[in-house]
Amino acid sequence: MDLLPGILFLQSILAATWRMATPILYAAVGEVFTERSGVLNIGLEGVMLIGAFAGYSVAFESGNLVLGLLAAILSGILSGLIFALFTVTIKANQIVVGAAFNMIGAGITGVLYRVFYAESGKVLSLKTFQPFQIPFLGDIPFLGEVLFNQNIMVYATLLVVPLASFILYKTAFGLSIQAVGEHPKAADTVGINVPRMRYFGILIGTTMASIGGAFLVLAYADQFVEGIVTGRGFIALAVVVFGSWSPWGAMGASLLFGVFYALQLRIQAMGSVLIPYQFLQALPYVVTIIFLIGLTKRRVQSPKALGVPYK
Amino acid sequence: MDWANLRTRLTKMLRSVWSPFAAIPIALLLGALVLLAAGYNPITAYEAMWQGAFKDRTAFTEVLIKATPLMFIGVGLAVAFKCSIWNIGAEGQFYAGAVMATVTGIYLGDLPRLILIPLVLIMGTAGGALWGMLAAYLKNRFGASEVVTTIMLNYVAIYITGYLVTGPMIETKGLFPQTPKISEAAWLPRFLPPTRLHIGFIIAVLVAVLLYILIFKTSIGYTIRAVGINPIAARYAGINVKRNILLAMGISGGAAGLAGAVEVSAISYRLYQLISPGFGFDGIAVALLVNNNPLGVIFSSFLFGALRSGAEVMMMTAKVPSVLVSLIQGFVILSVVAFGVYRVTTVEKEE
Amino acid sequence: MKRRLFTVLMAVTIVSLLAACAPAATQAPAAAEPTKAPAAAEPTKAPAAAEPTKAEAPKETAFKAGLLAPGPVNDGGWNQTAYEALKKMEADLGAEISYVETEQSPAAFEKAFRDFASQGYTFILGHGNEYTDAALTVAPEYPNTFFFLSSSRQWDPKVPNVVGLNSDSSQPCYVFGYIAAKMGKGAGLIGGMEIPPISESFTGFINGAKAADPNFPVKETYLGNWTDTAAAKEAGISYVDGGADFLLGNADFATNGVFQAMAEKNVNGFSLFGDNTDKAPKSIVANYILDYGEGLVELAAQVKAGTFKPTSNYEFGLKDSKVIWFTYNDNAANPVPADLRKEVEDLVKKIESGEINTLAK
Repeated sequence: MDLLPGILFLQSILAATWRMATPILYAAVGEVFTERSGVLNIGLEGVMLIGAFAGYSVAFESGNLVLGLLAAILSGILSGLIFALFTVTIKANQIVVGAAFNMIGAGITGVLYRVFYAESGKVLSLKTFQPFQIPFLGDIPFLGEVLFNQNIMVYATLLVVPLASFILYKTAFGLSIQAVGEHPKAADTVGINVPRMRYFGILIGTTMASIGGAFLVLAYADQFVEGIVTGRGFIALAVVVFGSWSPWGAMGASLLFGVFYALQLRIQAMGSVLIPYQFLQALPYVVTIIFLIGLTKRRVQSPKALGVPYK
Repeated sequence: MDWANLRTRLTKMLRSVWSPFAAIPIALLLGALVLLAAGYNPITAYEAMWQGAFKDRTAFTEVLIKATPLMFIGVGLAVAFKCSIWNIGAEGQFYAGAVMATVTGIYLGDLPRLILIPLVLIMGTAGGALWGMLAAYLKNRFGASEVVTTIMLNYVAIYITGYLVTGPMIETKGLFPQTPKISEAAWLPRFLPPTRLHIGFIIAVLVAVLLYILIFKTSIGYTIRAVGINPIAARYAGINVKRNILLAMGISGGAAGLAGAVEVSAISYRLYQLISPGFGFDGIAVALLVNNNPLGVIFSSFLFGALRSGAEVMMMTAKVPSVLVSLIQGFVILSVVAFGVYRVTTVEKEE
Repeated sequence: MKRRLFTVLMAVTIVSLLAACAPAATQAPAAAEPTKAPAAAEPTKAPAAAEPTKAEAPKETAFKAGLLAPGPVNDGGWNQTAYEALKKMEADLGAEISYVETEQSPAAFEKAFRDFASQGYTFILGHGNEYTDAALTVAPEYPNTFFFLSSSRQWDPKVPNVVGLNSDSSQPCYVFGYIAAKMGKGAGLIGGMEIPPISESFTGFINGAKAADPNFPVKETYLGNWTDTAAAKEAGISYVDGGADFLLGNADFATNGVFQAMAEKNVNGFSLFGDNTDKAPKSIVANYILDYGEGLVELAAQVKAGTFKPTSNYEFGLKDSKVIWFTYNDNAANPVPADLRKEVEDLVKKIESGEINTLAK
């Protein structure tokens, strides 16, 4: 019987891990496509914020979460078009444009949220996507609670990752994306439209990031607050590299990040006075660095043309 | 130098200068649209902002004070970016510098002023440089991407600072978490009383000029740039790529650390859990806005300082949320980028 | 090419610096004008427009109250209490009010105080202890302006226009801790960052819980920020998974996540600073209300009348029943039972009289 608390502890951590990993995972899987196409978007944080706000405001006004999600997707496409216009068509430095996006994201969501919501005096909560048990599977002891008592946007990651992996590695579209990121010139000579593929890479990235941002509002917290993304866009960038630019790798890396984040919250909740809580908070970040060092053996190269505009 | 040549040079110069200037009104115009949509009067808002930044001498020196940390961080990042090292970790390096400076200013507070002030600045620089070089070491030794490690090290530095300030270095246990004040002998002199303008600003301009010379006028700078343009070719040319990466990150982190040291020794005189409102991230934009030219950073950090400084007054008098400034900063960057390209193409056609 | 561009930019900047540092203050806008080319009409207008207000300020006796807030004033928590107080001054005293959310940078604090003071604001509230240094620096320059500091016990007769105001959250939280320990199995406290308004409320809660049941488990978590609603929710869930059935969040915006954790996991909880029953109607058993305005308006009225002569700092506690009080939620799934409410009444009396020190270590 002594095992029970341990099992409950583990169960609770694993369930939290998946939830904590989900917003990062959405953004990271999308960014895999962006970077594979040769574009680095460090503006994910801003794109996620815009997605969160768009999702929130439409869901709040319409009372429909699905509409909210669609609005987030739309905002992601719009962000992507602007980002691509600057980085692909105008061939501007990608880091510059990304940095601008982070500022614009914080600025526009901050101003609009204040004017239309914070000072309106309305009750601002949404009814979020609720967790539900998958019949039969949810009854499996231990695993049931961990894997099959989540909300729809968490479950969806199980589809998104294999699908992304399939598209990236098994379809002509995915191979073209990879080609323009590795050897844009060669791709060009075999008739692949480099700018167009990069547009697609960017659009997939920003759309997924917006979904990740919207997840925070529609399926996690029930309200938008300024700065709700709290660095997840930056973590997603780290996760892409850490996951060696593959969708499954991104999933592994986000889960790893999630597990250490969940763990630090639980260790704090256990009331350990031996370790200062700030060290626990730093744990997920330190572990990421350590794992990155550990990966040195199977060093994976970044896409060769990453960050280089194509003439 | 013949006159004809000078004239073409002058016209070229003017043509390339107008774009950043033209970018600012465009950004303000876009910001005005957002203000209108949000139900504010953009003219009142901008007037308040202008007043806040340029009303009188004091207001103007406040702009320079705000620009100082951005200038340090921006010039440092310019060097790293010239080497194609994407240091996203200036925020953490700023904290590392602030911590080291505070430690020095408190625990070696008995030293005479002439020794203590330089020592505080040097220790701050060293703190930031080491924090930056850690990422460079991880890249060189293990191939760990600096984009990732510097982001992670930001969090680690901020949490360590939080620990120090709430724990071992706290002034009075149970009260607001802050360290004791650093020794008065460590305070940077102010040179335009009654304003708060301090010699840190002068140091920042000097550092910008020095780094400009280093990058564009010396062989060290040449190799750093060579590594940045093509590390593989640089290696074939006999350049020690790893050493240059370490150097670039050291300079970049050092400058951010110095910014932290100056902020502590000239403004706050002590350390708090949150000592930076995101200088490290604004610094990225400040450097990139002027294409990583250290001299240009003097200008761009001034611009960002003015926007930030004006925003506070805008909030007070026109009641417009100061977060609007982030938006305008973003728009400025995008419009400069758009104009920048226009500039390149026209120049190319001509030559 | 680029090099020349920057030489020019350099020159422009330096010229504007020199011009601005020169004694003639009016030159600054002119010199820096290029940075704002299309608005050329504005700068010339701006100084002119500003002068009348400047000149009027001393004549007009309009009472102005300003606020320096460390975070967004719509956070439904700490910062909002100060903003509501300001609005109360506007309503009750006809005060002209304004606020600024200062950057988390000490460099910004002094400037904000000066900006307010120089515009004729005579009541300026720095909403947090972090503003102390800046207030003490600026105060001597403006002897007729009063600088108030929240969450502060600042009082120094040598700087009599800087006055600390402390609203003691540990007292209502003591009561909440007592209630939790009487009703529940364990409690989890979730804070944003470790600063006194947070840590003192936790100390009070723990003391109250221990007074009811010395073995009652209470633990604290800090998030390290004020915005991560998701992490706050996850922290709440982790307490519930660990056996706690009472949650208390004190993390500004992120507190929303704690309310959500309560509602989703059907456990009990408390709300601080305002009534948030609608966020978790079945879970929240009691709200601690801080009506900072009630406390401040009285002081502001004196400042307005010119009769304010402080002789010490101010402490607000349960004894100031118009400033700090709490309400029960009778519609909660597990409302606080009547006999416990009786006990609480006695407890409150003891706290008011000082018999119980809610902050005891």
